[in-house]
Amino acid sequence: MSCKIGIPRGLLYYYYGDVWRDYFRRLGAQPVVSPETNSAVVEAGGRIDEVCLPVKVFFGHVRLLLASQVDRLFLPRVVSAAAGRYSCPKLIGLLDIVRAHVSGGPPIIAPTVDSRSGWRGLYRAAADTGAALGHSPLASLIAWRQAWRGRRPPPAGARPAAGRPWVVLAGHPYILYDRHVSMDAIGKLTAMGVEVVPVDRADPQAADRAAAALPKDIFWHYCRSLAGAALAFLGVSPPPAGMIYLTSFACGPDSLIGELLRRHAERRGVPFLLLSLDEHTAEAGFVTRLEAFADMLRRRKP
Amino acid sequence: MTVTFPNMGTLPIVLQALLKALGVRTLPPPPTGKATLELGARHSPETACLPFKTTLGNFIQALEAGADTILTCGGGGPCRLGYYAAVQQDILRDLGYRFDMLVVEPEVGSAWRVLRRLTSGGWRRTWSAFRLAAATMRALDAVERAACSVRPLVAVGAAGEVEAIRRQAAAAVAAATCSAEAAAAAAEFCRRLSSLPAGEQPPPLRVGLVGEIYVMLESYVNNDLVRRLGRMGVEVRPTMLLGDYFNAHILRNGAARHREEALVSLAAPYLDRYVGGHAVKSVGQTVALGQTGFDGIVHLFPFTCMPEIIAANILPGVRDSRGIPVLSLAVDEQTGAAGMVTRLEAFVDLLRHRRKNTAGM
Repeated sequence: MSCKIGIPRGLLYYYYGDVWRDYFRRLGAQPVVSPETNSAVVEAGGRIDEVCLPVKVFFGHVRLLLASQVDRLFLPRVVSAAAGRYSCPKLIGLLDIVRAHVSGGPPIIAPTVDSRSGWRGLYRAAADTGAALGHSPLASLIAWRQAWRGRRPPPAGARPAAGRPWVVLAGHPYILYDRHVSMDAIGKLTAMGVEVVPVDRADPQAADRAAAALPKDIFWHYCRSLAGAALAFLGVSPPPAGMIYLTSFACGPDSLIGELLRRHAERRGVPFLLLSLDEHTAEAGFVTRLEAFADMLRRRKP
Repeated sequence: MTVTFPNMGTLPIVLQALLKALGVRTLPPPPTGKATLELGARHSPETACLPFKTTLGNFIQALEAGADTILTCGGGGPCRLGYYAAVQQDILRDLGYRFDMLVVEPEVGSAWRVLRRLTSGGWRRTWSAFRLAAATMRALDAVERAACSVRPLVAVGAAGEVEAIRRQAAAAVAAATCSAEAAAAAAEFCRRLSSLPAGEQPPPLRVGLVGEIYVMLESYVNNDLVRRLGRMGVEVRPTMLLGDYFNAHILRNGAARHREEALVSLAAPYLDRYVGGHAVKSVGQTVALGQTGFDGIVHLFPFTCMPEIIAANILPGVRDSRGIPVLSLAVDEQTGAAGMVTRLEAFVDLLRHRRKNTAGM
């Protein structure tokens, strides 16, 4: 029987989930990903105080996996995913929060990824993870490299058909692509006839250039990618018809980066809508705001 | 050039001492108050943390009063403070203000460039200005600590005296023209504080104050928590006054590093890594004060503060395993004095009962 590795479907899973699953399979383990978020998951995560919705959802997925038959739990601690940058404090302290709230359960595989001073931190994390499953550092690294090479980033540079007005949907992937958390904003907007371009479809190089042009470097790695991509979209000609920023209440970095993007969008005459989500957000009110925004864009059209 | 800066406890007095000695014209913002908070909140993103809003309010008030240069800090993350200046600058420019913003990033080169922008004075003058500022900071911290220990002890009729002496001390220290004068003023006012008539109270409860530095030091935003606790008969131990922060993060001398390491290792069983801000220290100080017989801990932080929310989720575990009561309080612009006082009173009652029960055993 191969070792079952429980992976919570939340937060960084939406960036690296494919790679993690492939990596564990290459090491002969069986990755078990918790099911899609539903209200029971949110409920289970609700006991953590004052954190943002995605962290609560993540904790809910952890509780779900604890109740299932997994042999290990995979909770990597990503301190920094790029030189000189940080993750948000809650991602860094996620493991400590989980440990403070659960006792017992299967052993946790918790490699620390700290790339502040280069790539060695990532390699060490890959080797540590493999070692926890009884593999040599070399075998672990080879498995990691192969898994990393096989990752499928979102189709970059996607642009909608010429002539149709399009809207950039900005936000972290763990919000945009979690259909419960985002209340399926992508599907709802599409159904309203809005051409939606998720922000992670921007050309990565253009996004990096746009982020580098900011007077102050954004030191949160994931927020920097997000802001760079959104700014890159604002810079194309003709600009998008609008921009919607989906964020979660109490997200620290978004509270400032959302403001930054709003000001950039408004300077370029692009209507901007910030929608903040938490576990009490009512779907009806959410839909009304999306509809009002879509109507406004339609009326604005020349 | 007329330079202003954010309010935070005794920081404006210290910065004024520094800048005046460097020959820079200063215009500190008016004391943080209701108008500051309203202005700041109106122009800030809704879920920005409280220090962002109040310091933005400070800047608006100072610019309106005629300042044309803002001196503030930057940072490298992961706490939001590091990105305040960039966004505040955008907001103020969109509001139509014209000003220079001097941002001191946490590296020597940046501090040096800012210093050169401010002054062209020689080495000797710069050195003595920094010495005066450091002495001012130490003197004000000493008075603050003395006031904290004296408050629960003085007779009811003399309660107002403590604050009067604190105000006089601040004025006297601010007027000092050299380090020796500042130190002498502190010694004199600490002596006056300790000679106030004592009341007939039992030995005061001892409570440690941990958390985020800005809301701990800026008494308007924390509803004067330290003084209120003092009047309830509690000796408050502030774990981070301006000088403590300066020693730990800027000076980083041997003793300060040693203290930091001790706190980090005390926190390690609960939180074994830096998560930004002061979260590790909040946990470490709670363990440390629990070991030295403190009756309780008040953990204070801005609503939505990322690092301290991690601490707030971890401190209940520390409370259970170390047996020291912890009250976590988040403050924002909606926090009313009445609600906070009720929670403090309930906490102090709990601590009193606890002490009585322990004594009876």
